[in-house]
Amino acid sequence: MIMHYLKWPMLFAACFILQTSFVPSLSIFGVKPDLLMVILFFFSIRYGIMPGVFVGFFVGLTQDLYTPAILGQNAFTKTIIGACIGLFNEKVMRTDPFVKTIILFVMFLIHDSLFMLVSLAKNTNHFFVMVPDLFVKTIPRALYSVAVAALFYAWEFLPKTARRR
Amino acid sequence: MHWIIRFFTSHRNITSFLLLSFISLWMMSSTPAKQEKIARMLSFSIFYPFQFYISQTARIKNIFSENRKLKEDNAAQAAAISLLREQALESARLEELLKLRSNYTYDLQVARVVAREPSSISRSIIINVGKENGVAAYMPVIMSLGVVGKVILALPHMALVQLLNDPSNRTSVLDQRSREVGILETENGEDYFIRYRTHADVVAGDTIVTSGLGGVYLKGLTVGAISRVAANQDPLFKKVFVAISVDFNRLEDVFVIRVKSQWTSFRSELDSLERQR
Repeated sequence: MIMHYLKWPMLFAACFILQTSFVPSLSIFGVKPDLLMVILFFFSIRYGIMPGVFVGFFVGLTQDLYTPAILGQNAFTKTIIGACIGLFNEKVMRTDPFVKTIILFVMFLIHDSLFMLVSLAKNTNHFFVMVPDLFVKTIPRALYSVAVAALFYAWEFLPKTARRR
Repeated sequence: MHWIIRFFTSHRNITSFLLLSFISLWMMSSTPAKQEKIARMLSFSIFYPFQFYISQTARIKNIFSENRKLKEDNAAQAAAISLLREQALESARLEELLKLRSNYTYDLQVARVVAREPSSISRSIIINVGKENGVAAYMPVIMSLGVVGKVILALPHMALVQLLNDPSNRTSVLDQRSREVGILETENGEDYFIRYRTHADVVAGDTIVTSGLGGVYLKGLTVGAISRVAANQDPLFKKVFVAISVDFNRLEDVFVIRVKSQWTSFRSELDSLERQR
């Protein structure tokens, strides 16, 4: 019972720790997966909008604490992403793994686009620098993260399938 | 008031989303100083446990990198220590050679072993001194522990030394205690023996030195000690096994005694006789 409640906080903490420690060593040409987005995706798609919004906000805020200059920026984008992913809640609609993968990919694009827009609004970056980043960084990062998510999904999905059989 | 609560509970998704978005926007629109203050406040309050564990993880990460660096340092230091140890050993060896040099009144030439016969039992070595250093064929080669062999070929800058463990090398020796003379032989390069007459006074533990009769080695150079006297198989002779004092597998620095063989004047004739044989 305790594990049931601790499972997700532990997963988030583990992802946070891995993201800051182990993931940089997995980078390929400077592209590394975003485990926090992946775990936020799995959480929100399972529990819906409100938990997704709260968890997204806290995950984003935790990230922001490392760079107070952009305080609120990650919290804002992740809150929106948590809500968007929550719209595809498993309890409301059934989606197959392939569709989930596409959703995750699109969420990455939305997340980075939002982040970029907020940065532009705050005048902390330039449009002509950020737009190429969307193609050079965001898409490879999204693809890499989707690949990592596939591993998560296999770990989550395959044992259930085996049990059903 | 009730209707507000009812509104929030019935529209909790949208209200929570709007509330958190509003908080995020408020934080974003704050001045940098205020953002810093908020971040510090959050870091030391609700996010403290996270911060603590993440900082611990960062420490673990640092420990890994520190460990890697220490390993590298350790490897470099191990190499340096190994080099120093080697130099210390070399120094000790050279010191021993110097001591030996002061013990002998002969003209000694220090030489370093530069090559050895590439077989499990090397029967010859090459030293880095030659004719240019006054080394000539049939000069004895020794080290602090005893006789090593003799020079059989001298080139300008190097010389070939035939070791005592070469089966074709026979050395005239004597028992230091009883003065019994014999010929030191070996058949396999590992077991050395002398055939003494049955009644010869030789016992295990006696020191064997060169007799000086062979014409190459000077008298009194240590060769080894009698390890055992074999049971009588021959009515006339007994086989006396000798433990050689020099380890031929660990030769590094040796001395060439620059002394002319007492048979030098007959050397050309002896060589021609050997060739005829």
